[in-house]
Amino acid sequence: MTVEILFSEIAGLYGDAQNAKYLELCLPDAEFIYTDICSEPYFVNNTPDIIYIGTMSEETQRRVIEKFRPFKDRINELIDGGTVIFATGNAPEIFCEKIDYITEKKEITGLCVFPLTVKNDLFKRYNGKVLGTSGDIKVVGFRSQFSFIYGDNSSYAFLQMQRGVGINKESKFEGMRKNNLFCTSCLGPFLPLNPLFTEYLISLTGTSAEAAFREEAMDAYKKRLSEFEDPKVKF
Amino acid sequence: MKKLRFFIALFMAKLATFLLKMLGRNATYMPGEVALKISKDFLGHLKLPETVICVTGTNGKTTVSNLLTSILTKNGYDVTNNSFGSNVQAGIAAVLLQDSDIFGRAKKKIAVLEVDERSSLLIHPYIKPDYLIVNNIMRDSVKRNAHTDFISYIITSALTEKTKLILNGDDLITSSLAPQCKNRMYFGLDAEKPEVSDKPFLRDIVYCPDCGAPLESEYLRYNHIGRMYCTACEKKSPDRDYLVTAIDRENSFFTVDFKGESHTFTLINDNIVNVYNSCAVVAMLTILGLSPEQIEKGFSQSKIVKSRFDTMSAGKLKITFQMSKGQNPIACTRCFNYVASIPKENKLLIVSTDDISDNTNESENVCWLYDCDYSIFSDESIAKIIFTGPRCRDHLLRALIAGVNKEKIVLCEDTDKAVSLIDPEKYTDIYVLYDLYRQEDAAKMRVQFKKLGEGTK
Repeated sequence: MTVEILFSEIAGLYGDAQNAKYLELCLPDAEFIYTDICSEPYFVNNTPDIIYIGTMSEETQRRVIEKFRPFKDRINELIDGGTVIFATGNAPEIFCEKIDYITEKKEITGLCVFPLTVKNDLFKRYNGKVLGTSGDIKVVGFRSQFSFIYGDNSSYAFLQMQRGVGINKESKFEGMRKNNLFCTSCLGPFLPLNPLFTEYLISLTGTSAEAAFREEAMDAYKKRLSEFEDPKVKF
Repeated sequence: MKKLRFFIALFMAKLATFLLKMLGRNATYMPGEVALKISKDFLGHLKLPETVICVTGTNGKTTVSNLLTSILTKNGYDVTNNSFGSNVQAGIAAVLLQDSDIFGRAKKKIAVLEVDERSSLLIHPYIKPDYLIVNNIMRDSVKRNAHTDFISYIITSALTEKTKLILNGDDLITSSLAPQCKNRMYFGLDAEKPEVSDKPFLRDIVYCPDCGAPLESEYLRYNHIGRMYCTACEKKSPDRDYLVTAIDRENSFFTVDFKGESHTFTLINDNIVNVYNSCAVVAMLTILGLSPEQIEKGFSQSKIVKSRFDTMSAGKLKITFQMSKGQNPIACTRCFNYVASIPKENKLLIVSTDDISDNTNESENVCWLYDCDYSIFSDESIAKIIFTGPRCRDHLLRALIAGVNKEKIVLCEDTDKAVSLIDPEKYTDIYVLYDLYRQEDAAKMRVQFKKLGEGTK
């Protein structure tokens, strides 16, 4: 199995980089390829089993989009072919049609995988929690962001929300999914926080693997789940 | 009309200050809030002290501003400062109005103000500092500070070219701030250069801020603090005007070279972060015209505020309390490193870094744990770690992912019970790492340690 971790030196803010480390521990026999922003992505000429990209700054986001732009067709090919691609934090915004950086007075066209647009305002930071379901898996997560996504994602959302907001404050549908491309605004150690989802994600490659430190990860997950389901806990 | 609103705001805020003091309460925030509610540009109407020094950055601003105030005061200066107050807009307003007359004119000639870096855009349009010290810029609270590009953008946008900058020359993010400010001085550290091969756990700058090419490092001390150069353009860490060339840990001294001479000062704490802080203080005070002797007089009588670093003995037990700001991964990692580097064996650590308010009818965001270097806990000198607080399970998982042996770890959700889990015959060197808002817990632990130590006499 081959796992490509994209630009972890600059797209791994808020603990996102540790999702890759956790995957390494879950898949000790897999080959991990860490591609930096100055190198050509491995996926251009190969088909990894899993691709991961995490949270980044706005400037980095613009750089990543320009990096990806020449490979737009290849990215669509991978998505259509069912490659597992996982994007966290503001990485999903890359797959939208347009990002409007309100504070910086800039606008950029995205990869247009989803008919959605993004508004980014550096003076409006949103912090929140996520409790939702992906299929029959309950998912917990944290969000801290300057941007929201707009458009109708109800038919291809990643999560049906139980508590917390969706792609924007009016939405109850969080993230996007197309085949095995999973996009979530949740950031940080999403995989260690969600051992059941981690196992599901890995299973989509045709491999079965137990989440690393499963017992301890499940203990922490259950504790958080009970807190998130407690109506006294603010969202 | 604006002026009238200002005088009404000033009067109401001074009244609020008076009433709060009558009630024996702190007047370090609320009066400022009152003033700003009435007059949004209140700060812009105050007649400021002749010299305004602001201190900002991610880590160490409180230490630097406290040291500056303390040394200036010991040398006879009367200083307006917000050491005991808030570092956001209302706190700055509160302290300035306290030290102003009924017309809003400053009563003191010098102000040392610690400024929250995120508040720069609310403060500096009105208070254009004569000097701004920036210790460092690195990742901090996920929720509040976002990332270093954001903080750099805020600080740079807030300054005018009038301000003279005193910047950490070993931090390429900080040293690249506000290019419009041409009057710049740099401080840094040349002593105890680390091995070139030492790789920090995290770096907040990897590519050249000018051309985007990869940066190489001569060496890095921690995070991105060190000496860097661009592989494609002329960009590099700047030469330093104030340079620590020696650290004498045994006798608690450090030597700073500036203006072609070497001067030795008392080192108040040998954590490398505090060596940087102390060097910034030497630079600022020298620029203000104090002699090395005057500066040393202040250093020799200063110490870090007890609430941040303190030691106690109880029977055979020696306990070190080190504040480790939760939600701040770099500060915590520095504390972990500091404890691990102390040349002792069989250490026991109590880690109590969960945020109290974020766990009261809340569930704390734990992303920051994954930006902390928990692999430090694998250090052989650390024999036992007690993770305490509501997030203890998260600490355990984080530590396991970092490769820490599970046998070393004990979980104790109830912080009040952590001390009772210690075998005082087995562990005598104890380190308590506690969050800023867990000072009450630390105080309770002190009492518990006293009792625990009695049996070991």
